[in-house]
Amino acid sequence: MTRLNIPVESQVLPNGLRVVVSPDHAAPVATVGVYYNIGFRIEPRGRSGFAHLFEHMMFQGSANAGKMVHIKLINSSGGVLNGSTHYDVTNYYESVPSNALERVLWLEADRMRALKVDDENLRNQRDVVKEEVRVNVLNQPYGGFPWLDLPPIAYRNWSNAHNFYGDFDDLDAATLEDVQKFFKTYYAPSNAVLLMLGDVDTDEAMQLAERHFGSIPSGPAPSPANIDEPPQIEERRGVVEEKFGTLPAVAVGYQAPQRLTPEWHAAAMLDQALHGGRAGRVYRRLVLEQQIAVDTEGGIHYPVGDLFDYNGPTLMVTRIMHKPEYSVDQTLAAYDQIIDEMKEKGITAEELEPIKVKFRSNYFSMLEGGHGASIPRYGLMHLLACFSLFDSEPSLVNTILDPFMDVSSEAVQSVAQKILTRQNRSIVVRQPVKKGAA
Amino acid sequence: MMASAPRSETQSVIPALAPTRPVIWPPRARKTLSNGLEIVLVESHTIPKFTGELFFRSGNAAVAAKAPGLADMTATVARTGTQRRASREIEEDLRRMGADLATGAGADTSVISFEGLVDHSNDLLTLVSELAREASFPADEFERERRQLVEGLRIERTTPSFLASERFRRALFGSHPYGTISPTEEQAMSYCVEDLKDFYQQYYRPGNALLVMVGDFAPQAMLTQIEKVFGSWASGSAEPAPDPPLPELASRKVFLVHLPGSVQAQIVVGNRAITRKHPDWLRLTLANSIYGGAFNSRLVMNIREQKGYTYSPRSGAHPLRQHGYFSAGAAVRNDVVAATLTEIFYELDRMRSTPVGEEELDDARAYLTGVFSLGLATQDGLAGQLATATLEKLPEDYLETYRERVMKLTAADVQEAAQKYFDTARAQIVIVGDRAQIESQAALFGVPEVYDAQGNRI
Repeated sequence: MTRLNIPVESQVLPNGLRVVVSPDHAAPVATVGVYYNIGFRIEPRGRSGFAHLFEHMMFQGSANAGKMVHIKLINSSGGVLNGSTHYDVTNYYESVPSNALERVLWLEADRMRALKVDDENLRNQRDVVKEEVRVNVLNQPYGGFPWLDLPPIAYRNWSNAHNFYGDFDDLDAATLEDVQKFFKTYYAPSNAVLLMLGDVDTDEAMQLAERHFGSIPSGPAPSPANIDEPPQIEERRGVVEEKFGTLPAVAVGYQAPQRLTPEWHAAAMLDQALHGGRAGRVYRRLVLEQQIAVDTEGGIHYPVGDLFDYNGPTLMVTRIMHKPEYSVDQTLAAYDQIIDEMKEKGITAEELEPIKVKFRSNYFSMLEGGHGASIPRYGLMHLLACFSLFDSEPSLVNTILDPFMDVSSEAVQSVAQKILTRQNRSIVVRQPVKKGAA
Repeated sequence: MMASAPRSETQSVIPALAPTRPVIWPPRARKTLSNGLEIVLVESHTIPKFTGELFFRSGNAAVAAKAPGLADMTATVARTGTQRRASREIEEDLRRMGADLATGAGADTSVISFEGLVDHSNDLLTLVSELAREASFPADEFERERRQLVEGLRIERTTPSFLASERFRRALFGSHPYGTISPTEEQAMSYCVEDLKDFYQQYYRPGNALLVMVGDFAPQAMLTQIEKVFGSWASGSAEPAPDPPLPELASRKVFLVHLPGSVQAQIVVGNRAITRKHPDWLRLTLANSIYGGAFNSRLVMNIREQKGYTYSPRSGAHPLRQHGYFSAGAAVRNDVVAATLTEIFYELDRMRSTPVGEEELDDARAYLTGVFSLGLATQDGLAGQLATATLEKLPEDYLETYRERVMKLTAADVQEAAQKYFDTARAQIVIVGDRAQIESQAALFGVPEVYDAQGNRI
């Protein structure tokens, strides 16, 4: 078995900014990311969707680089850029020919130091975000299913349960003052990590980080948010109308074990056994054998995240699109049989072994990709960032696989028995308004 | 470790670019086996895996006269059984090798794509070879896949972006195979296993195939492995797809697809254009990049960053094997359909009438060449670039010379391409949305032909 030996150098600047460098000179390109330890989970109450709207504002101008300058400078250096908002982090990243490294750092430092935006920018991006919500959710078959449907059913704490993309009323209510306050609270260097990957020299990269980020004043650490959930004691269910699509759909979410615990390692193997592609038990039984469903997918923190990129409560989700001639109850009964079998009989070593091989293989692919071919090493950057911000240990990328490879079949069965219970799950049904046959 | 104190305060000057570092071309091996199978291999040691694609130069266009989508269905069912393995074995074997595999077909090619751990490369190649040579097309798997396809087609007909592409391609290419992107339910139901087997027999031939692999291997050793697995494949080639005449596009035309209840309108505007082999291809690519092909492009700045009409405006030059097309599009709120079309056309006409400035030209050339380098930095990206160059039989040094050829393009090249291919007077316009919300706006650009989501004229 190939032992991972990804170079990872890290330091913390006096203002609290974490810096991580992972050089690899195979191609003359560099990927740079800045991750802030703030996601949509803990955006302010009455401001649903704000963390994401704020992410858009970060492209609207900073002290020395006005609106469009960020985008123009990166594109005209031969690079691409974007940002994204997750449960617990928000990222900004660029892939560029490596001769543009310092320029990228200058831009990221400039917007970490001071955001410079006005009401016109806010109005503009509010409109853009509304069209984003329409194109991805409101005007799309199965839009937001189940990532926006499950949280309000599964959770009791507003932070975990609210509409992460944002109610339009809340988006409309957001003010420039909110923007600057959010920036001040969450965008201090001590709440962030800077990552440089690819064709970069470690010493040079560290020096450039100090030069451009070192003088950004440190701010107070944000007070820790309460994202705890009261224990779940009964199955929770909800129904959401499907306005466009023709097939009924159902999603089931089980509260998942806490990160970096032995139960979590076992749950990841359980997840592969159930949801690992066409060989996974759910797809094999429901789609290939019983042919009740036309598609199933699933995973821990599915579908807008993965096993590694959250830092609080999450679900192991199964998503089922089933044939209209089967009722939701029939579909769930067939699904429950798979779940009950797993709890009763567990998994043999013969089934677990290939699951580990596949898990390892998926992990390698994750390191390199994650964003098509346009952002080389996006996946490695994402892991390094999460391990830095959540665990202060970026080098976990080299060792995190080991405990998964040591999971026993007994541990898989035992975690199945513990988490795959009726009282630990939430179910949402998407009920089509239209009939299947046109 | 702790860093030393920072050296300086706020820096207000944008740092200059360092000297460009050269692209290092990884070692490649090429060979054509005696049975006609073409092979391209490249080393890339970024992760202990390899990725590959086995292409056949025939896709849905090759059999469009029989039924649209037949090549795609053939590829789908080819994965579900061979003379040696049943469907479940195939899936479990893949998992055992840590591999992923997908099959499918577009207009011009059918493909088996795969990736896996290098330790299991021989097993994976053996399975790929079986799927390419010994697929058994089990009747029950075929029935299951067809039902899944039909349910998928029904959902497509509720998806604005699909409906827009479907109508747009029909407008540009009419009854040519490129004019149909998906079968109807009835056409899918009329597929039979024999048609799939026929397609497979006729087109899954080594003389019609290209195997591209990139990964953590030594090319010469991998070549030997491949020859062992694929060398015994009986030779054979295939006829190219027919290329029937195209409809004449004499004037601007507006199509409206009525999707009741839409809270947004999906707009697509464009013309037929050219293939990658056309001498104007790079000129068009550069013109597109300035117009709407990059974040920092005119269309994105205008209708997103200035006006806030849309989240996702984009334009693209799309090459198919026999023809190509150019399109610009955006999903916009219902009340700005006419305003958006006005801006789309304004920016197209501006490209035609006025030469781009030096700075904008420099920026766009740097963008294209930089993004090209980014695309070579991963196994997937490298495989994709090589596959395109080889499938389209582009010149041997196409990739190596790409950047210098882009750097030579001028403002006149861009304007010439815009004048030829951003043909606003004959543009085809498709709008998908709720008729009551958008028809009067659409009508400002021509008398709309209105269709329902099933494709019927209403």
